[in-house]
Amino acid sequence: MLNSVPPERRDYLRTPMSRGNIMSNHKGTPSRRQFQLGLGAAAAAASLAPGLARAQGARSANLAMIGEPQSLDPMASTADLVSIIVQHIYESLYTFDAAWNVKPMLASHMPKVSPDGKLYTIPLRKGVKLHNGREMDSEDVVASLKRWLAMTARGKALSAEIVSITATDASTVEIALKTVQPALLAHLGLPSGFAGIMAKESIADNLTQFIGTGPYKFVERRPDQYVVLNKFEDYAARSEAPSGYAGKREAKIAELRFIPVPNANTRVEGLIAGQYHFSDQLPVESNKKVAAASSARAVLTMPYGFPYFPTNTKQGPFADVKVRQAFQMCLNDEEIMLAGFGDPKFFALAAEHFPKGSSFYSEAGKDKYNKGDAAGAKKLLAETKYDGTPIRILNSKQYDFHNRMALVMAEQMKEAGFKVQLDVVDWATLVQRRNDPALWDIYITHAAFLPEPMLVPPQLGDGAPGWWKTPAKDATLAAFNGEADAAKRGVLWGPVQQAIYDEVPYIRPGNFAALLGTSAKMKDFTPMPWPAFWNVDLSA
Amino acid sequence: MWLSLARRFGSLLVVMFLVATMVFFLTRLAPGDPTAILLGDQATPADVERLRAVYGLDKPVIVQYVLWLKEVAQGNLGQSIFLQRPVTTALAERVEPTFFLTLFSITFATLIGVPAGIASAVWRGRFVDQLVSALAMLAANIPSFWLGLIFIQFFAVRLGLFPVAGYGDPGASLVERLGHLILPAAVLGIVNSALITRFTRASMLDVLGDDYVRTARSKGVSEFSIVIRHAFRNALVPIITVIGLTIALLVGGAIVTETVFGLPGIGNLVVSAVLRRDYPVIQGALIAVAALYVLINLTVDLIYTLVDPRVRA
Repeated sequence: MLNSVPPERRDYLRTPMSRGNIMSNHKGTPSRRQFQLGLGAAAAAASLAPGLARAQGARSANLAMIGEPQSLDPMASTADLVSIIVQHIYESLYTFDAAWNVKPMLASHMPKVSPDGKLYTIPLRKGVKLHNGREMDSEDVVASLKRWLAMTARGKALSAEIVSITATDASTVEIALKTVQPALLAHLGLPSGFAGIMAKESIADNLTQFIGTGPYKFVERRPDQYVVLNKFEDYAARSEAPSGYAGKREAKIAELRFIPVPNANTRVEGLIAGQYHFSDQLPVESNKKVAAASSARAVLTMPYGFPYFPTNTKQGPFADVKVRQAFQMCLNDEEIMLAGFGDPKFFALAAEHFPKGSSFYSEAGKDKYNKGDAAGAKKLLAETKYDGTPIRILNSKQYDFHNRMALVMAEQMKEAGFKVQLDVVDWATLVQRRNDPALWDIYITHAAFLPEPMLVPPQLGDGAPGWWKTPAKDATLAAFNGEADAAKRGVLWGPVQQAIYDEVPYIRPGNFAALLGTSAKMKDFTPMPWPAFWNVDLSA
Repeated sequence: MWLSLARRFGSLLVVMFLVATMVFFLTRLAPGDPTAILLGDQATPADVERLRAVYGLDKPVIVQYVLWLKEVAQGNLGQSIFLQRPVTTALAERVEPTFFLTLFSITFATLIGVPAGIASAVWRGRFVDQLVSALAMLAANIPSFWLGLIFIQFFAVRLGLFPVAGYGDPGASLVERLGHLILPAAVLGIVNSALITRFTRASMLDVLGDDYVRTARSKGVSEFSIVIRHAFRNALVPIITVIGLTIALLVGGAIVTETVFGLPGIGNLVVSAVLRRDYPVIQGALIAVAALYVLINLTVDLIYTLVDPRVRA
């Protein structure tokens, strides 16, 4: 899976942590035949590598990741792979609990917010040691947050709304805002493009020292071989019970080794053979095999993310909203998801963008979801000036499910009277072409399931490919983003979701699951969007 | 001979210049932008432009080419966009697994291919010949990733004889690291033995019909001595050629096997770089591989002169 260069694992996350479902093994130990084949040469060769096959110290965990991290700088990349690793080294002021509520991490408490919602006073925990032995203080926080505002896309977007970030004393930081920013703490807590707090003396454009406050400290990186983190003995843990990313963190495993294993089948076999204690992103086809192995457990996380199909609202046939509506009407989302993910176990249809239980749950626009109405779409299309110009579906085989969904989508569109052109390119090309409105009408991508609507997809902001910019978008999002009260904000998501169904800036056909694998020896692993290995142990 | 060598070195430089030029422009012709990939979905066009400027990608392609060529002439292959380190460092870090994988693979391939080819020629048309030919055909057509996965499944997962993948734990000794190369080297050895087998067979058949072989037989020289001491020695030149070519292919071409076995070699580096459009790494790695290719060919030519005095003339 080049995946190897997993283009954008940055868009994927997994899901509400509490929903992860560990699938236990069903069968006993499969018999392992004794090696009696007289392969003398092979045996002799094997003796060159004594104990290599399964020798893993119980106190070190081999974690097979999908590739080589682009960076270990938490702010230099939004790739999930980077986030998964660096969240063990760095911590943020706030984080999320199992129900996706914002909770303090390096902050001692939730901030004191001024009545107008524009001044956040954040108290810091005292006695928190950095990995260089010095105690973290407010200057580290200010320097780190300023770097985050300057370096990351989310930080830059936010920086326009920030008046100042100041250290009022050694353990207090103030953030002054120009406008109300209800998602501020969520931004500070999200591990993607992470606002991790680092030692101010380590800060540079290109980090060469990785000094945070996390339960693990950086030891060594050998590109394409491993990133090694060791337990930080002076780690200052919170006292609350662990919940999601929040609460007490304890490094029970002495050494974490993040190993790039780009080939998904190798991650499966390595897990079953016992070489890896954790394998990320397994093919869904391997579910039965992993679940049946006595040495491993299959971990299904549902929902993990959602595919979505941005439309080009700026140029070409899809600039006409009615053409986009006809497109939406002709889609049978169930068929598309089935093509993408094969087995209903790995996907779920969902008209609502946020599940029941979320403050953003809304059924607005549900009547327009999963219609599969080719005749109705044809009729609607006839009312437009659509002249048979081929609709270009930009997609990549680098993610197989993207291409499979595009194939089914194309057939459904043809049935509704669209002419369709499938532009299959590699991911690097897609990422470049989607920025040019002359080159596509629909593209296929996917994103993480995130608790805060404004975090993803980027089409809810300005300037993202698709260039959705209408009065309905502006009005509904202005109301949504201008409300500081969480409960009222939840209600205001409905009109935004309605505008998405009405104006079709993108299609969300449903949610999909992720399959991970852990060793049977791994205890207390909790499926989380970015798998974390604090509070996780290995049995002997 | 020295003049010939000097000529070869001269042509080597020309070849390297042409390779460098082609590599540079081919990578730029491919669509895709490393900075867009690096920055992700939420990056603004201004972010992308800023990063393009950092890496000099905002300059006209011809200017980039001239600047890059100047650096290459001084031995500087540039800085990787994704790895945040010099390309030469990135390559140097991957030389060890690639070198030993190539060495082991070619050893496997030669140990399988040469005896099989000789046996096939000696017993031409008989069962052994048919079996060797069939197996060679099979080996030549087996996809290496498939064979790799089968080997992993059998030798690593079921029998537990070898590690599944990787290149050793942190702090692993050289011997332990090399132990990780046995399975992938066996895979590559089997796949690449096919060509050596066929060349050995053909070459041996050529010489086994020669007069001096007939003469040796008539003088009562043992068959073993005829085959090994007389015929094989004279059949060596094409065999060395194909072994040399196989080594050259392995140096830059074990990409799939390195990926399946998670080996941090040059092939893996190139694949990652291509997918990310990490231009400096693609360019640097291809130039390095091309240089090795040319050098291996040169070495093969030199070996000719050792095994076949006629070439020296």
